[in-house]
Amino acid sequence: MTTASVTTDIDIGPFKIPSNAQNMIMNFYAGRNSIPIEIVIPEPLLSNKLATTIWLHKEFNFTKVLLSSVHQLPMIDVDFDALVKAMPNVEFHFAIEGMKGSGKDFLNSVSQEVKMFNRCKQINANDFGWLGLHKLNRDL
Amino acid sequence: MSYQENIARIINHGPGYAVLPIQDMKIFERLRAAFIDSISEDLNQKEDLNKIRESMIGMPKSEINKIMLNLMTQHQASEILVKSCKNLVTALSGSELFIQRRANFIINIPGSDQRRQWPHYELMSGVSPFTYVIWAPLHDLDDGGGIYYLDASESLAIMKAEDQKGLVNGPEMFDMLHNRVALNLKYGEAVVFNPFILHGNSNFESKFARIACSVRFQSALKPLMQKHTDYFRHYVIENLEK
Repeated sequence: MTTASVTTDIDIGPFKIPSNAQNMIMNFYAGRNSIPIEIVIPEPLLSNKLATTIWLHKEFNFTKVLLSSVHQLPMIDVDFDALVKAMPNVEFHFAIEGMKGSGKDFLNSVSQEVKMFNRCKQINANDFGWLGLHKLNRDL
Repeated sequence: MSYQENIARIINHGPGYAVLPIQDMKIFERLRAAFIDSISEDLNQKEDLNKIRESMIGMPKSEINKIMLNLMTQHQASEILVKSCKNLVTALSGSELFIQRRANFIINIPGSDQRRQWPHYELMSGVSPFTYVIWAPLHDLDDGGGIYYLDASESLAIMKAEDQKGLVNGPEMFDMLHNRVALNLKYGEAVVFNPFILHGNSNFESKFARIACSVRFQSALKPLMQKHTDYFRHYVIENLEK
């Protein structure tokens, strides 16, 4: 029974979250859900495979892994498949989205949802201003 | 003009908000039941809604805030509200949606010393210009405890005036709006509005707290703004009536 929280690069999908803030988010989530965190894993900068987590799983046999967001799952298929294969019974928790689950089907559904969101264009409010955003609503 | 076209016209090109009957009350009833179950757990006894509303008068603000936070764990609330207004939602955004992950249950306590919602439009929170809101009370609203709304032209005029001064949600707007009169609604009615409609609530006097639920949604085919997976989830409305 080992629970780990994982911090990653500051760029997390659409979010920019420093690692200390990632820890705050996960610790708050863990506290609310009465989950004691035993190991904190800092994935290296620019890494997006959760490779350190997979490697440490062989030694610690994690039962739960906490991440800040669904956007920290590997997005390249081969990396995602490696994670699913290596950690089929681990319960993953995504603090920002408030989601948890384990196994191939759960992780696949999360990954599909992330892809759905990533296909969607994102408006930068700074490019438009209030009246520009109103006009955008009229035009599109 | 079809129902769908008429709704889209009113909300997108007309007043910007409308009071509508909830389409499926059987589904909506589950929302009220979920609220009562959750609160009964907090209070350690099962009560009817009016007793719960009465018992909230005099509760510390921190306790009310705690209850509202606990209610955010009612993950099904968002889906229930969307499903209970299926035709309305699809008229505005189609069937492939991003819906709010956690619907808001909002508790308002009467009295001049209580919190009230600063006038605002939804866009201020970072939802996209293509997001809509459904707001529904869990009981009849006839004591001024509801929300006031400014129509689209008045809201836009204020937005423009503030923009000229480099302001958003400035003091003049606040002073201008806080004595507006809230809409009265029956249980089973909801207000739907676009993200540019100014709204807020005023102080009110009553023996009961006001309880309402709201959900935000947008088409999954339209751009997002600052609210992303933190706030929305993907959702498809199925079994649409032809």
